[in-house]
Amino acid sequence: MMTELRIEEVTKRYGEVIALDRVSLNVQSEEFLVVMGPSGCGKTTLLLILLGVLKADSGHIYLDRNLIDNVSVENRNFGYVPQDFGLFPHMTAHDNIAFGLRVRNLPKADVERRVGELLSLVELQGMEQRRPAELSGGQRQRVALARAMAIQPSLLLLDEPLSNVDEATKSEIREKLKETVKRAGVTTICVLHDPGDALTLGDRIAVMYAGKILQIGTVQSLLEKPENEIVTRLLASHLFRWDERI
Amino acid sequence: MKDRFDYILQALAGLLILFMVVSIFYLYVAVGRTWDLVAEALFSERVAQAIIVSVSSSTLVGLIAVAAVVPTAYVLTYKEFRFKGLLETLLIEFPQTFPPATVGLVYLLMLGPGSPINIAYTYPAILISKLYVATPFAMSFTIRRFREIHRSGLDTIARTLGCGTRHLLLWILLPLSVKDLAAGFSLTWARAMGEVAGTLIFAGAIPGLTETIPAVVLTSSSTPQVALAVSVIAAFLSIGALLFFKWIARER
Repeated sequence: MMTELRIEEVTKRYGEVIALDRVSLNVQSEEFLVVMGPSGCGKTTLLLILLGVLKADSGHIYLDRNLIDNVSVENRNFGYVPQDFGLFPHMTAHDNIAFGLRVRNLPKADVERRVGELLSLVELQGMEQRRPAELSGGQRQRVALARAMAIQPSLLLLDEPLSNVDEATKSEIREKLKETVKRAGVTTICVLHDPGDALTLGDRIAVMYAGKILQIGTVQSLLEKPENEIVTRLLASHLFRWDERI
Repeated sequence: MKDRFDYILQALAGLLILFMVVSIFYLYVAVGRTWDLVAEALFSERVAQAIIVSVSSSTLVGLIAVAAVVPTAYVLTYKEFRFKGLLETLLIEFPQTFPPATVGLVYLLMLGPGSPINIAYTYPAILISKLYVATPFAMSFTIRRFREIHRSGLDTIARTLGCGTRHLLLWILLPLSVKDLAAGFSLTWARAMGEVAGTLIFAGAIPGLTETIPAVVLTSSSTPQVALAVSVIAAFLSIGALLFFKWIARER
């Protein structure tokens, strides 16, 4: 599915604090864009505005040249995987994945076929009758991913997908995540604070700091030509684990 | 090392526990050797009818309250409007502090002999006066749970998946609130069982029609044995029912 997203001069204030300061961003079709920055830099606010949960004070968002500022959360058709995965605790993995399809009143056979495809995409066959509490962190993430992709979203939004995954399995999960998303061919925005994860996952990376996007580029261009001191320090921080000290 | 403060807290807790437990169980001590009177009262027609009126009206009030608080809790969780805090106080805290006798009086004036709709001294009058006093229990449980779900963000995720309000309620909010609705029902039921002043003023105490268990206790003070006997039945019923509701909630 071809989908392009354009964010134009989006600004959001909380009282006196500027959370987003004229943020502009283009995301190409099927691209995996990482928005990277320290906590409190405004990346979660950007995500909530994209989802339609928060309203921007000014600026616009276009999807394939259509203005979507006033489209409600349920009609945006954006897949969302929150930091804690947000699985419905009272439903099995199967029912979590089927949720968006059942809401759309799809025939039962279609729901089953699609859920089956997604279970094999995220390699969770045999786990479908388990509840979230009976799954590991990595498995929960895959259920959440499958659930978000079940609705064939125009855009996939991932909020810190690696923060609830233990270090031992992190690199494997990171690879799987990217591979799965790429295979599904869905345009993705992924919010991360860890530069190491950002550099591994992103086709392009938008470096964000204090409500502004400082630089957007491929991993190579960012490493070779960081535009200013802050970008350099943010990117280097993963080598020295400075993260939050910037 | 002995932690003396720990002992002090245990002793203080013991005082309150003793006060609460003795308050209930002294009844059984007071009955003493007059258990035959209790049996006699239990099998009297007047008491049997009062039990039916009390249990049926309290169960109905519990069911009506649970059904009625769901839309209200939804609105108070998801809608922002002026004086919301004040409205919540009027719906939850105020009815618990407002004297039930006054509630009965208000209804007597509003829906009594002088008004176009006169339902005073009827069965529906019991339901109405109990509903006002008892609903806040179901209300506070439900609203607290809905807000918890809202804070968890599960509702937002459901919406991103295309979920409208109907499915949000039926597939997310209600299934995740079953225990709280059950707890709200049982406390509402218990409060409705004990309510007497409002009911007595607005519905009266017509044996077989509007006379409830606490009304029997109140109106038979000239024959303390009967009052005592009925009280024992009432306490037994309430404790039994509350334990039963708790057991159901734990099973879920």
